[in-house]
Amino acid sequence: MKPAIKVLLFNFFLWSAALSLDAADKSFQSVQITIKTVAAGKQDREFDARLAPLEKQLKALNYRSYRLLKEETQTARWQGNANFEIPGGRVLTVRPQEVTNNQLSLRVQLKQGDKPQLETTVRMNNGGNFILGGPPHEGGVLVLSISATAR
Amino acid sequence: MNTCGEIRESIGAWLDGELSGAGADAVRLHLETCLVCGEERRQLENLNRAMKDVFESEDFRLDAEPFWHGLRQRIAAKRPWHADLAEWAGPFIRAPSFAWAVPAVIVLLIGALYFGSILPGWGVLAPRNNFATVESIDAYGRNVALLREHESKTTVIWLYQNPDNENEGAGETSDKGPAF
Repeated sequence: MKPAIKVLLFNFFLWSAALSLDAADKSFQSVQITIKTVAAGKQDREFDARLAPLEKQLKALNYRSYRLLKEETQTARWQGNANFEIPGGRVLTVRPQEVTNNQLSLRVQLKQGDKPQLETTVRMNNGGNFILGGPPHEGGVLVLSISATAR
Repeated sequence: MNTCGEIRESIGAWLDGELSGAGADAVRLHLETCLVCGEERRQLENLNRAMKDVFESEDFRLDAEPFWHGLRQRIAAKRPWHADLAEWAGPFIRAPSFAWAVPAVIVLLIGALYFGSILPGWGVLAPRNNFATVESIDAYGRNVALLREHESKTTVIWLYQNPDNENEGAGETSDKGPAF
């Protein structure tokens, strides 16, 4: 095979790879969002075994007890809202905005009744999570693990 | 062709019979009259004779038989398996030229990006930590802390309650916050 033809074939292959890479970002149809609601307190020492995957993250908060109150998963389309009921009359709304370079951008809003408490935009690894904590709950606090995976 | 210099340059060719006609006659006539060039002719003739004696002597004859024998043996010998393997794998393990190495690296990088995009966390260029980036935040007047917990590589947004505590949470109370 002549060198010129080899180079042409190679260029074709490179373009194909680049186009398929570009298509990969665009091919994510929806985002699976999981919220784990944890009650953290400073009274008894207790760690809910169901929270084992989050143990390292939660124990950095230095509470004594961690109990999983609720785990909910929803699938949201891009620019669509996923609403999660959080104990204490709160609602957490998560809206996936975009994915670039395998990083998801999420708009997150926490409301209590009609009152917004927090609104933030977070960019995170696809399949990763972050922690939102602080709302009071039964003498302790609520800790929310918010994870999202584009599919 | 009259000078001694020109004649001496032609003596060798004349002795080898490579000159003909006027050229050969000019050399022959010059050598009959010029003692210096005649001496040059004698030396060349002696040298030719000596070389001929050497080439024709018995000692000089090359014995090529051992060489051909060894060559035939090597051709007939069965090659070991590792020699066949090395010959087969040679093109793969030989260092590619730089011209091909550059596009090969590009392909690897694209492959890594592609693989990472379809399997989160598996790409070689995928970030090695779980840190999230907070691009904007509004806590509606409350205190909020942004923390990057390095041990677990996690981003933590901590919402503190308003000291005035506008009756939030219907009687829920909590401590002031975590002791990070």
